[in-house]
Amino acid sequence: MIETIRNKAKEWLEKNDGGCVIGYERASDGMTARPVFIYKPYMVGSLIFDETCVHNLSKYLLNRRGLKTAIVVKPCDSRGINLLINEHQLDRESIYVIGVVCPGMKDAHFGRIEDRPLSKCRVCLHHTPAVYDVLVGEPQPETASRDYSDVARIEGISIHERNAFWKEQFERCIRCYGCRQVCAGCYCQECFVDELDPLWVGIRSGPEDNWIWNIGRAFHLSARCIGCGECERVCPVGIPLMLANRKLEKESADLFDFEPGMDAGTAPPFATFLKEETLEKVE
Amino acid sequence: MELTYEPRIVGFLCNWCSYAGADLAGTSRTNYPANIRIIRVPCSGRVDPLFIVKAFQLGADGVLVAGCHPGDCHYSDGNYHTRRRVGLLRPFLDYLGLDKARLRLEWVSASEGKRFSEVVSSFTDTLIKMGPRSS
Amino acid sequence: MARVGVFICHCGTNISGAVDVARVVEAAQKMPMVVIASDNKYTCSEPGQASIRQAIVSNKLNRVVIAACSPRMHEPTFRKAVSAAGLNPYLLEIANIREQCSWVHSHDREKATAKAIELVKMAVAKVIRHEPLYPREVPVTKRALVIGGGITGIQAALDIANAGHEVVLLEQEPSIGGRMAQLDKTFPTLDCSACILTPKMVDVANHPKIRLLTYAEIKEVRGFVGNFKVEITQKARKVDYSKCTGCGTCWQKCPEKTPSEFDLGLGKRPSIYIPFAQAVPTKPVIDTDSCRYIKYRQWLAAGEQGKKPPECRICEKICPTGSIAWDQEPQTITEEFGAIVVATGFQVYDHRHYEEYGGGAYPDVISGMQLERLMNASGPTGGEIVRPSDGTHPKTVAFVCCVGSRDQAKGRTYCSKVCCMYTAKHAIMLKEHDPDVQCYIFYIDVRTGGKDYEEFYLRTLDDAGAIYIKGRPSKIYRDGKKMIVLGEDALMGRPIELAADLVVLATGMEPRTGADKLAQKLNISYNTYHFLVEAHPKLRPVETQTDGIFVAGACVGPRDIPESVAQGSAAAAKVAGLFSSDTLVTDPITSVVNRERCTGCLLCVAICPYKAIDCETTRDTRVVAVVNESLCKGCGLCVGACRPKAIDLRGFTSQQILEEVNSLWS
Repeated sequence: MIETIRNKAKEWLEKNDGGCVIGYERASDGMTARPVFIYKPYMVGSLIFDETCVHNLSKYLLNRRGLKTAIVVKPCDSRGINLLINEHQLDRESIYVIGVVCPGMKDAHFGRIEDRPLSKCRVCLHHTPAVYDVLVGEPQPETASRDYSDVARIEGISIHERNAFWKEQFERCIRCYGCRQVCAGCYCQECFVDELDPLWVGIRSGPEDNWIWNIGRAFHLSARCIGCGECERVCPVGIPLMLANRKLEKESADLFDFEPGMDAGTAPPFATFLKEETLEKVE
Repeated sequence: MELTYEPRIVGFLCNWCSYAGADLAGTSRTNYPANIRIIRVPCSGRVDPLFIVKAFQLGADGVLVAGCHPGDCHYSDGNYHTRRRVGLLRPFLDYLGLDKARLRLEWVSASEGKRFSEVVSSFTDTLIKMGPRSS
Repeated sequence: MARVGVFICHCGTNISGAVDVARVVEAAQKMPMVVIASDNKYTCSEPGQASIRQAIVSNKLNRVVIAACSPRMHEPTFRKAVSAAGLNPYLLEIANIREQCSWVHSHDREKATAKAIELVKMAVAKVIRHEPLYPREVPVTKRALVIGGGITGIQAALDIANAGHEVVLLEQEPSIGGRMAQLDKTFPTLDCSACILTPKMVDVANHPKIRLLTYAEIKEVRGFVGNFKVEITQKARKVDYSKCTGCGTCWQKCPEKTPSEFDLGLGKRPSIYIPFAQAVPTKPVIDTDSCRYIKYRQWLAAGEQGKKPPECRICEKICPTGSIAWDQEPQTITEEFGAIVVATGFQVYDHRHYEEYGGGAYPDVISGMQLERLMNASGPTGGEIVRPSDGTHPKTVAFVCCVGSRDQAKGRTYCSKVCCMYTAKHAIMLKEHDPDVQCYIFYIDVRTGGKDYEEFYLRTLDDAGAIYIKGRPSKIYRDGKKMIVLGEDALMGRPIELAADLVVLATGMEPRTGADKLAQKLNISYNTYHFLVEAHPKLRPVETQTDGIFVAGACVGPRDIPESVAQGSAAAAKVAGLFSSDTLVTDPITSVVNRERCTGCLLCVAICPYKAIDCETTRDTRVVAVVNESLCKGCGLCVGACRPKAIDLRGFTSQQILEEVNSLWS
């Protein structure tokens, strides 16, 4: 598998002078992975791919708009590419996508790799990238049934319990904006949270302002979140951000029959409408 | 001492239908509870979902978004987009612990003065029954 | 620094009856940036307005809040008032304390007063953030496009041209004239249709201000009122009109014959043809579906598969001017216009949808329009009314009204308006042609709204002796040489079985196929039947929601000839009004893009109902949205959708709306 990735990267670099391959290499701890940017064919030997390659590299493409770039993507990350093409941030022609069939990722904590796959991988539906120029690995069938038991658990508790639960979660937010920085869908020139005029969110880290920040962040990703789970992975205080994102994912699938990033052409739900739809939950 | 609870409602009303409907409620002297504060917007599609979140953050007990009936939008499509935005925001806020009954999307035409007053009355009643928002 | 003046109106007792105005004034005086707050018995009166003007000057006010009736009532009045005092008219905000406060909370003075104070507070919070706005002027291209060369379009084109403006009249068929050209006589005067129409067609052809574009279609429409850019596809005629003199030799000699569209399949026409004798222009087109030589060329191109078609080219050989242009291809013409009149008219409902009436399979069950062609002296039978099946003269003729109209089962609920009248006309004409004819007319209601229409209808009963039977027939079938019409006489309550020689279905009107597609290109609305939607059905019947685009005639709904002509003239008057000044003033309440914040996701471009947003590349090669302020109607749909808050709506900025919300809790 890794040989295929290295060979394809090498081949591509030889043909595309000045191009860059974005992939993974072993980190200095000798155990986890880290992103690597390769410009010379002879350097492809450092590329790796295994269950430690948790990062979604598609966000790096935004720094290489219009430049020849090859990228190693897992299925969830590949949807980020579709999302960004759909939103006119990237053009497909300049990107060479090395799509890798995903075995499920594992995070590292306190110096060792965890036994269990990441929670996002446990509910993952798509094991083959949604977009690729070359596919590494045998295509895997999709997981047929959607598993929203995590969301359902929150839906099942009382409104007061939900309020208390999220209040407790958001209160811990230190407003580091790591979730935003890592997200492929967060590429605004100036985030609404940073805006002073008008002031959408107070600059102080307190319960009220944390509440609107977290809702605003999640809602701006509604019908756009590709489920890569990076926000939750990087959150230093362990807020279950995917639990919020996945509620919106579930609703936009139910209400609009839409799954973000599965292709680059379908109009997203907020760009279109159906005259006859009723959205009974609203009216 | 028992304090009577007066919920505060922020209403975003489109200029062409619902705001005109609210005016008609006045012209026809249809009384309704004084709990609503109306903000005039050109179209319900002007309402940024964050306005709604912001109103709740500040302490609104209920938010009403009102526009033209589907098909009647002065700008032809605005209310269809509003329906999708509010349609997604509403279950999301509910999930986060803000009862979905506190956010209403209603279609009120310029000729539905009576309906507008009924909407405000029933919304106010609902909010009074629900009591203040749990903090 | 904002200096706000607050003026609170008593409106007689309309406001002060429920609101303690003195307390509102007192509260307003304490609001931030408020320099002066005062009250007035009637603010809208001249003394009231004068006191505002005076206060603006003496207190150096730069923002004004008026707490009075709804802004929908007097906003224009008060804008003029502050403008008269030298202030930008958009630095005004109105607190609606009458319609939305005193009149609806009259039962509780305390609450009404508290609400009025808060409404003023919101208005103050908003007005502080107002910025001066300036209406823009855009130039007007004084040139009109009329789409559709029927009687409506002809009338509109002539009237606009006679007002002194250039007109392009566009028609998709080879000749102008439209449906009226197919009619034999017109009700209720029984004028010969061609006799009143063709002079107008000739006027169009000869008018120095009118350019005729036949056999052409709209490809794309961009721009806005005063400045439309329209791409037109000129279909390939295969005839060079710059050489052709219209001598007619070609269409007389063409050996191929194909069913005539103009005669609704009752007669034949050659492959190189003009649709009818009085066609304008009197120059032919080649029908590429039936032409022998075109087929031969296709056969050659396909690698000589199958039977070889004759290599005819007779028209080319005999044409005295060498006008036949086999290699002519469709062309795209780009033209600029200031206004567009849509007059695409109607087509006759296709009665093949009526299975119970034979679904079009019986030659002796014809439509009203087909009967027009049979009656017409220049029609396929030379004016002999005969049965299409065997050429005999019918003696018993049954008419069925409301075919494709007022029929829920066929999804057509509307009344086509003209069928009752043209059926009456047919009954009278048939009797004139042959006194032995007996007409039976199956109807639901006879509708004769129009000048002299009822009198005309009565003639069918008195002079023509037609028999009216109330009820929609349930079935029509053939029995030998006769057509049997089964129905029920609803007035007598008994079944009817009528053996007729000929059945005429009074088919209704429907919009032309493709009316919806055209409406989408023009960005105007259409209803479920694809009839175009006017801006207001009563008060703005020829305008649309899109400025500068007008609609007239049967493309809006069923119309008869006088109404269509009147609408054509009305649309022309609107165009002339628009062209009466050199520039247009546009509303300054539009969206505006902050290019630094814009990410170029172009969600706004996708949702703008007016196609008012486009994109452009900045000097640092970023793609950003840009608003065409002349197209923008200020709905703010884009603003509500923009994640980076890069687009804002003047007069309703996010800042202002947030300040309004904030003021309720500050």
